Amino acid sequence: MPLSGRKVPPRAVEKELATVASPISGREVELPAMWNRMFEPRVLTDYGPDGFAALAALPGAESLEWCYGCGKCIPVCPVDVVGEYGPRKLHRKVQTGADLLADPDLWLCTTCGNCLRVCPKQVDMIQIMPAAREAALAGGGPVPGELAEVFEKTFRYGNALGANPRRRAEWAAAAGVPVRVLARDPSPVDVLFYVEDYWSYHPRGQQAARAFARVATALGIDWAILGPEEKTIGDSQRLAGEKGLFDSLVEDVTATLAKYSFRRIVTPDPHAFNALVKEYPRRGHEFTALHYTQLLAPLAGQMTWARELDLTVTFHDPCYLGRHNGEYDAPRTLIEAIPGVRLVEMGRCRQNGYCCGGGGGGMWLDGFSREHAAERLSERRVREAAQTGAQALVVCCPYEVSRFEDAAKSTGNEHLRVLDIIELIDEAMGLRPGEAGAAGG
Amino acid sequence: MSSDTIAVIGGGPGGLRAARGIAEIGGSAVLIEQREFLGGTPIAENYAGLTPHNEPAEAAMRRMAEAVTSHPAVQVRLGTQVVAAEGEAGAFTLTLRGPDGREQVGCGAIVLATGFGHFDPGRETQMYGYYEFPDVIALQDLEAMLKVHNVVRPSNGQPPERVCFVQCVGSRDRQIGNEYCSKVCCGVASKEAIEVRQLLPDSKVFIFYIDMRMYGFWESQIYWPAQEQHHVQYIKGIITEVLPTKDGRLLVRGEDTTMGRPMEVPMDLVVLSVGMEPSPGTRAMARLLGVKQDKYGFIHAPGGPLDPVSTDREGIYACGAALGPADLEDTVSSAANAALRAVAYVRSRSLSAAG
Repeated sequence: MPLSGRKVPPRAVEKELATVASPISGREVELPAMWNRMFEPRVLTDYGPDGFAALAALPGAESLEWCYGCGKCIPVCPVDVVGEYGPRKLHRKVQTGADLLADPDLWLCTTCGNCLRVCPKQVDMIQIMPAAREAALAGGGPVPGELAEVFEKTFRYGNALGANPRRRAEWAAAAGVPVRVLARDPSPVDVLFYVEDYWSYHPRGQQAARAFARVATALGIDWAILGPEEKTIGDSQRLAGEKGLFDSLVEDVTATLAKYSFRRIVTPDPHAFNALVKEYPRRGHEFTALHYTQLLAPLAGQMTWARELDLTVTFHDPCYLGRHNGEYDAPRTLIEAIPGVRLVEMGRCRQNGYCCGGGGGGMWLDGFSREHAAERLSERRVREAAQTGAQALVVCCPYEVSRFEDAAKSTGNEHLRVLDIIELIDEAMGLRPGEAGAAGG
Repeated sequence: MSSDTIAVIGGGPGGLRAARGIAEIGGSAVLIEQREFLGGTPIAENYAGLTPHNEPAEAAMRRMAEAVTSHPAVQVRLGTQVVAAEGEAGAFTLTLRGPDGREQVGCGAIVLATGFGHFDPGRETQMYGYYEFPDVIALQDLEAMLKVHNVVRPSNGQPPERVCFVQCVGSRDRQIGNEYCSKVCCGVASKEAIEVRQLLPDSKVFIFYIDMRMYGFWESQIYWPAQEQHHVQYIKGIITEVLPTKDGRLLVRGEDTTMGRPMEVPMDLVVLSVGMEPSPGTRAMARLLGVKQDKYGFIHAPGGPLDPVSTDREGIYACGAALGPADLEDTVSSAANAALRAVAYVRSRSLSAAG
């Protein structure tokens, strides 16, 4: 062994591009640095606690430092399945000097929570990511433009789509049943139905909202909506880093809710549900909140069916209904109650459900995420769903119908229909106006 | 001539616990220690705090020693070596050489508590430059500095800004011949890392490891606080070489195995987490008493895990790190076990002689 200075340590080298000549065409091909590193890896020259210390100063973000590198999170991270990601890798990046607040990785986490489920050290990305994103926003760091636009729209219009708030209840006109709006009839009501953005404005969401209206009415539920007064709960905006926006929405929403007398809030949006059961109580606002599947599952026995659907379906667990809030059975109770519907599970279901990519702001980062991954999470999920042989992918989160319908097209799985559970119930109960069956199968 | 006295060879934590145990259950013991003081390696090697609770070693060893020296059933011989052994189980005669010359002691049973030695990082391989670079030290060298609350770079007397530990030096190595894990070094290094961070809050402390072996409670007693509260940087990948830099620092080179990339990181102080080897006393006593050693030189315990203290010679028992890598908890546990076995042995002989 050389000793005492006789050996010159190798220099750190990184080439950004390598040029390789093809032996077939003779053309020169430029390879990115990733390939180059296979030939001459970049030398690590330091590790440090500074990145962790900066994160630890943000409430909730101290646990990234706790990672001991077991790697359990990586196989269950939905982003790692389509790219290079995961809490362990982020920990190492920060330990080797990367500034998480300025790194594209900051925006890739969907806060799906599957890493926390398996993490022995309780490294909590559900708190780390929103805290770091909030700091990045406050510090003027790079924020993906498409996300910044959604923050702006939410701030201006009270919804993520930037739609006209006065048209928030327009979907109801075509429901085929009367939909009570509390501003017009403020008498006490059992169920305040919090429609949320995508069921209010997105064409496919509106179809589901109308189906809910017909089913709830048929079941004799006493229910009403806020209509134009409703603003988004904004939980995904919070998880994407806009805690300030969320807090101001909490004030607006609770001020509106205080005007009316109701027993329960029911929402189709697992993200809103998550905020109502977790974030609202933390801020002193206690409501009885249910996801719509939790309202309807106990009533499945009272549903009167008009037809059998003859349909094999698979079900996608929403992260914020399942993993985050422990509800796996209510949606399945409803699916299994529908005559002629056969449920086949995907390999990744229930606690290990694979994220659609829409949570934690991912809904509004499709372009950005696509640049940093081999394919969309929704595309990966749709291919998994198609492999079950199901004819329909059934969901119960407003983000998912549009995400999965796009993914079914882009992956060549157009035969796979994407339907909300409520649409199946509506169909099987024969409630759709002007129709005499068959659409379900 | 048969004897009920039990000879305990070695006055460290194991020997002290064994002698006290023998006396507490009504036996009588002669404790033989070659050094001029009791307390063994924790005192001889200037340990600061004991792992895992970081209790000051001096106080802890003094407490153990006083329990022995104050007991009328224990005679202590300091500065004394065993130079010859004759007889058989039940009636051994040990020849001792001490400050007052030679002495013969009769005993019915013997407890070997001869302990371990630190692996000498300069002996087998010069890789880390332990004898070349003043700022490359070993765990016990850092203990000595921690004991006086003054951690400095030996080269210039200045406090180090960057300190790293290199794990598994002299352990888990077929070429060196020590194939075993030394059991305590992960915990001791992490404990010392915490102490360095407390003493020098501006320092950065790194631990390069193959795998962290924090068995039992040490995981959450030492490892987790080191990482979570004291911000010690754990890096999976072992250092292969230490090179000097132009500015008088040390460049540690290795592979970061989780990143799959080479690493070259400057350090001010490099601490080698040296493992355990049989002490010279363990080897010498094994030879003298004709007790079988294992391939590494530790005392062989043929009884396996359910009888970890009996040697292959009747009436001779061993405890602590004389048997293999052991922490203090292991050591005092096996010492009490050996005390019990030795007392039971001499009593059963007395009873059968009387009957």
